[in-house]
Amino acid sequence: MITVENLNVMFGRGRNTVQAVRNASFAVAEGESFGLVGESGSGKSTVLRAIAGLHTHWTGSIKVDGMALTQKRPRAFRKLLQMVFQDPFGSLHPRHTVDFILKEPLAIHRFDTVEPRILKALDEVGLGPEFRFRYPHQLSGGQRQRIAIARALILEPRVVLLDEPTSALDVSVQAEILNLLDRLRREHGLTYIMVSHNLAVVAHLCERIAVMNRGVFVEEMTDEQLRTSTPIHGYTQQLLVASKGYDREAIDGFVEFT
Amino acid sequence: MADTPLLSVEDLRVSFNTPKGVVEAVRGIDFELGQERLGIVGESGSGKSQTGRAILRLISGNGRIEAKKMEFDGIDLLSANERRMRSIRGNRISMIMQDPQYSLNPVMTVGSQIAEAYRVHSKAGRREARDRALDMLETVRIREHEKVYNLYPHEVSGGMGQRIMIAMMLIPEPDLMIADEPTSALDVTVQLQVLALLDDMVRERGMGLILISHDLNLVASFCDRVLVMYGGRIMETLDAKDLHSAQHSYTRGLLECLPQLDGSHGALPVLKRDPAWLEE
Amino acid sequence: MSDNTTTPPGGAKPGLKSWLLSDSPGSMSHARCQRLYLNWIAFSANPIAMVGFFIIASLVLIAVFAPLLTSGNGIEQYLANRLQPPSAEHWFGTDELGRDVYERIVWGSRITLYIVGLVGVIVAPLGLIIGIIAGYMGGWIDNILMRVTDIFLAFPRLILALAFVAALGPGLENAVFAIAITTWSPFARIARAETLTIRNSEFIMAAQVQGASTMRILLSHIMPLCASSIIVRLTLDMAGIILVAAGLGFLGLGAQPPLPEWGAMISTGRQFLIDQWWVPTIPGIAILVVSMGFNLLGDGLRDVLDPRSGH
Repeated sequence: MITVENLNVMFGRGRNTVQAVRNASFAVAEGESFGLVGESGSGKSTVLRAIAGLHTHWTGSIKVDGMALTQKRPRAFRKLLQMVFQDPFGSLHPRHTVDFILKEPLAIHRFDTVEPRILKALDEVGLGPEFRFRYPHQLSGGQRQRIAIARALILEPRVVLLDEPTSALDVSVQAEILNLLDRLRREHGLTYIMVSHNLAVVAHLCERIAVMNRGVFVEEMTDEQLRTSTPIHGYTQQLLVASKGYDREAIDGFVEFT
Repeated sequence: MADTPLLSVEDLRVSFNTPKGVVEAVRGIDFELGQERLGIVGESGSGKSQTGRAILRLISGNGRIEAKKMEFDGIDLLSANERRMRSIRGNRISMIMQDPQYSLNPVMTVGSQIAEAYRVHSKAGRREARDRALDMLETVRIREHEKVYNLYPHEVSGGMGQRIMIAMMLIPEPDLMIADEPTSALDVTVQLQVLALLDDMVRERGMGLILISHDLNLVASFCDRVLVMYGGRIMETLDAKDLHSAQHSYTRGLLECLPQLDGSHGALPVLKRDPAWLEE
Repeated sequence: MSDNTTTPPGGAKPGLKSWLLSDSPGSMSHARCQRLYLNWIAFSANPIAMVGFFIIASLVLIAVFAPLLTSGNGIEQYLANRLQPPSAEHWFGTDELGRDVYERIVWGSRITLYIVGLVGVIVAPLGLIIGIIAGYMGGWIDNILMRVTDIFLAFPRLILALAFVAALGPGLENAVFAIAITTWSPFARIARAETLTIRNSEFIMAAQVQGASTMRILLSHIMPLCASSIIVRLTLDMAGIILVAAGLGFLGLGAQPPLPEWGAMISTGRQFLIDQWWVPTIPGIAILVVSMGFNLLGDGLRDVLDPRSGH
């Protein structure tokens, strides 16, 4: 479904150019859930944004559903691929009601039957119609993230990019959202690419996982391999150990990987 | 422990006057702290941060602190006047907060901020304060401390910024350190390295530490004892090593809804909020 | 986020109030009414802001009901009656041409509102549009627009207004135009600054990923967030605008006689300041009160609308 080859993403111009992603290559099959793990500065979110069309300064090849992508995205692409962002407080416009937020994509792409679609979208993410005319500041973090998911799904995409969708949420709310994402994927046959710094979350939701460090793909593995701690690369091993909690001896052995 | 506790809190209540009515952030909690590492764990809205601030009487304008007892080393923190509190804050009780980008002064070099922290609570001159600050930078394992002394907060990474905060907060040699989500904004390997540093500092100086966090596993693996808060109340107090045999349904619920590295792909058990928890 | 326990101040009130405070608005207009109501509550809790509001509301009412509040139109002359001190018959006395000062103040309020309203209507949208386009598009568009803004910003307001009026000829409309030309630049700056902050927000990114056109993003997403700062700045600037208009009027370049523009009244009355103080002083007080009213109102609005206070 998605094929990325030799992706290089740059920030800045001229002398201040920073290469955020170097020679990234990976593939995601249709209906698969692919996880991208790394620490801050690893370039994982950048890869996602390049695929979504938010970064235009890249070279290499990105193909989605057989279509090779260029810096500009055609309208039809928007109905194929959508994105859920990390910060539920920042990804909804503070002055728009839930109704407006859900109506907007429908208006942009000139869908008919707006009313039933909105009600269905709310229902699918577990929210009742009483939420329809609330403003974001009247919603909890979990509810906002559900709206963000509803917004992403209302165009009926086949691919959903998830940029740390639960990192800003409480643990109990995270569980609900992860369950929701899982159910939606199964029900609609969606393809996911999920980015996270949290190995446990990625291992839970994804079938295949790639690890990034400083803009480079370090290693790829299946969730089974991650679970049984069979990664080969030292960086991944270190991440695994760190994810398990405070262990003084292990911490003293931490190394910088460049 | 046989000796008197460092901090003793009984029936602490923190409430705020808002246009929509009175909001109670902390609703009657009791705990004691010795020379140990105590973790306070809770989700957002549980009142954990307000507890930490209440100890230092740093609650904002429209808030009120009430308690039957709030005593630190024999000093009554409730009735102490503002002057007394100022001599305690940063000097005998220190606090580190979440994001060093916001808690460090952006227009002063980090070194001068550490030196300032020293001079506020001692009569030292500039040269002596600078030397002490350089020493502290070394103590918190920052290499090239001379160079880092002259950097500004936006020029240092998150992990280094937290080390600088720790240096600043340790320089007056406090007896108690309150750390409010000190590592939540950091990468997981850096988080652990900062905690290891805190661990050493606490051990070497015989300090008490209160670690406030939303990360139950991290707190349980690092601290000696854990308080679990929900809705402004303490649901359970346990020794960290006993976490996995926790009794209270909220604690159990929190533990169960965490995705595990070695778990399955099935649906995560969702925390059922029992309204009885708010009444306890 | 869980509210632990909340005690509502007076218990639940039925009817309109509960409709306004309900948790689940039933429609877009319901939601908008709620927001207005909550904003109003926040605003009216500030007594100083209410003073400003009262002053400006009075100005508007006086202007609207001017025919009901006066018997003449402030323009006819009764030379036999000139320079009478304030009395029961002429509350503010009469001026050098026998006209009732009170009536001229009342009718002059219409002119004041006209000036202020017209300038506001030109300046705010103009500054807003230029600012958000410059801020969002960046690059050479931003550069050009900002250099144009800088040019207008560099001129001292009154002098540039004088130059325009001198070129176009005296008169109220020309004065308004001159004032507008010299006032729009700071608004563009403010709008641009806000846009730069908002531009990298995730909700803008979400809109881009959905395929929103630039126009839609500018109008629907960015403009509503900039509008608050612009409104506050405009209200605070009103005082300055009134003073410039008064200055132009004083110099004889704004409203032409016999129009009862307050600045012109001071100008023609200034020779009588010592012996017949009411002729120039009363219009001066009127200008003072209205300027202060706008300032207080603007301060109050800023406290309520400031995006930083977490709306």
